[in-house]
Amino acid sequence: MKFAPFVLKHLRRNWIRTLSTVIAMSVCIFLFCTLQTVLASINDMLASTSANRLISRNAVSLVFSLPLSYQSRISAIPGVKRVATTAWFGGSLPAKKEGKADEGADTTTDWSKFFPNMAVEAEPYFAMYPEFEIPPDQYRAFLGDLKGAVIGRKLASKYNWKIGDHFFLESFIPPYRKKDGPFEFTVQAIFDTDPVKHPNTDSNLMLFHFKYLYEATGRTLAAGTYNIEIADASQAGAVSKAIDAAFENSDAQTHTETEQAFTASFISMAGNLAFLLNSIGLAVSFTILLVTANTMSMAVRERRTEIAVLKTLGFSSLQVMGLIVTEAVLLGALGGGLGIGGSQGLMWFLTSTPGIKDMLAGIGLSELHLKPLIGALGFSVSLALGLGAGFVPALNAYRARITDMLRTV
Amino acid sequence: MNAQVEPAQAAAASPAGLMVDVRGVRKVYHRDAQEITVLDGMDLQVPAGEFVALMGPSGSGKTTLLNLIAGIDRPTSGQVVVAGTDVARLSESELARWRSRHVGFIFQFYNLIPVLRAVENVELPLLLTSLSKRERRERALTALKIVGLTDRSGHYPRQLSGGQEQRVAIARAIVGDPSVLVADEPTGDLDAKSAEDILNLMESLNRDFHKTIVMVTHDPRAASRAHVQHHLDKGVLRRD
Repeated sequence: MKFAPFVLKHLRRNWIRTLSTVIAMSVCIFLFCTLQTVLASINDMLASTSANRLISRNAVSLVFSLPLSYQSRISAIPGVKRVATTAWFGGSLPAKKEGKADEGADTTTDWSKFFPNMAVEAEPYFAMYPEFEIPPDQYRAFLGDLKGAVIGRKLASKYNWKIGDHFFLESFIPPYRKKDGPFEFTVQAIFDTDPVKHPNTDSNLMLFHFKYLYEATGRTLAAGTYNIEIADASQAGAVSKAIDAAFENSDAQTHTETEQAFTASFISMAGNLAFLLNSIGLAVSFTILLVTANTMSMAVRERRTEIAVLKTLGFSSLQVMGLIVTEAVLLGALGGGLGIGGSQGLMWFLTSTPGIKDMLAGIGLSELHLKPLIGALGFSVSLALGLGAGFVPALNAYRARITDMLRTV
Repeated sequence: MNAQVEPAQAAAASPAGLMVDVRGVRKVYHRDAQEITVLDGMDLQVPAGEFVALMGPSGSGKTTLLNLIAGIDRPTSGQVVVAGTDVARLSESELARWRSRHVGFIFQFYNLIPVLRAVENVELPLLLTSLSKRERRERALTALKIVGLTDRSGHYPRQLSGGQEQRVAIARAIVGDPSVLVADEPTGDLDAKSAEDILNLMESLNRDFHKTIVMVTHDPRAASRAHVQHHLDKGVLRRD
């Protein structure tokens, strides 16, 4: 501890170099923490999926739909327990208050009020998603109301919605339209999730009757996807193949995969994304290691005389090595702290800025915040980078003979 | 020296009263395949409390001898006993600890740490002791008082003249109350007036505080301040 002022004074000696090294280090840790947080959020989302649920979509793209007639054919395939027709609604709250929503063309869309919402075939859908815990009376009320909506607890808190509240949504992607203005909904049920049994289930979600959307759009609606529950999770591959084989010669071929694989592909091929993000992190970390190592080498080289003096005064080689390593690790710690702070700041900005936070919620990343574990990991990486960068110059100082260092002055 | 920094020579010197006892020392350097013998069977005895000057042309081996006495280099063969310890027998870490207790080194170019104030430079060797922060600071200020630089204690080396820097370096060398002071051309980088001041100070340290001093110099005027002058030429020592 008594050597701390000595180390700190050396760091202040060439403050521009110190500052630039700390900033370089902080950029590295900032990227590391931010990328890892995004990856962790994606993994959380994937973890919330079930192994005994499949999703069947149009083989060409998710943008194209599937005929409604497929439902009964899929249900007949051995191993399939139940099938629910679903369609992504992509609705957003109109900017105008709900009372004026019937003015139709006068309303404008406020994208900051977007949240995930989907039309589902209620009975089979909720039967295969036990993680959505709905009070039985509310569920019954929902089933009896075509315009009824089931919303998650988080969404209810966000807009302060209660059972019986009315609201309007306008669909933009895809652009479903009703002749008489925005779609009207009534909150009939609020679902909760068990944070212990299903820790990653997002309740920032709204679900409503597929039939409502089907009828409101002139009965032209097809299925966006079919959510399928299978009897045996180990048969997921075989059942998927059987479903796709059944529509192999159809106009609309299917592509069936597990819910996890479907979610992964929905958020831009998460598997490859993880590889890409990790590769970027690794490359940046390695570059910063070289930069810091170079800085430390320069710092030690220009202090050869001082190192010789310290040794002459009685500092052991190990103590001199310790001082240099401490200096490097301190650089790492400063950069790490700054990078973690920056990453935390970015997360806060993204999750609290209207528009951005809702867009993130729309793709399931509403829980985007720096986890303590990632912060700790980032800080450890920064310390390791500092240690790695300082080790070789410190070892050289350890080995150097006093007379040699004094002679090269 | 005052009560806080008492002289230690009496306890550190050998039974024969020798502070430095160099016997049959040989020092050989290797440069590529070439072998260069700098010292060849050198003997030197310095009694405790003596002020000795080592003179000689460049390359004569005087700095090498000084480094051996200071324990910052090791002889190829022979014995170097300083303050009762054969320094050649010590391990690297033991030698470092020994240096911190027994040797005060004064460099030609002062070699102060530029980021530290004068008092912090003087305090530096005391970081290796178990003294408290307050005790370290008190001792450093005492050492600065001895060299007449109390009013410059808060200055950085760049804010001091060459003579003042060397005085700070001397304060750093004596702050740990070493058994022996070794000085390598302590006036070599100073003007005549500053050099005179430094030599007066060294004389005072020897006379008033009984410090044993071994000084390497080219300057006959500096050497004349010493009690004994030795001339080195091609590794052979001659006493005047």
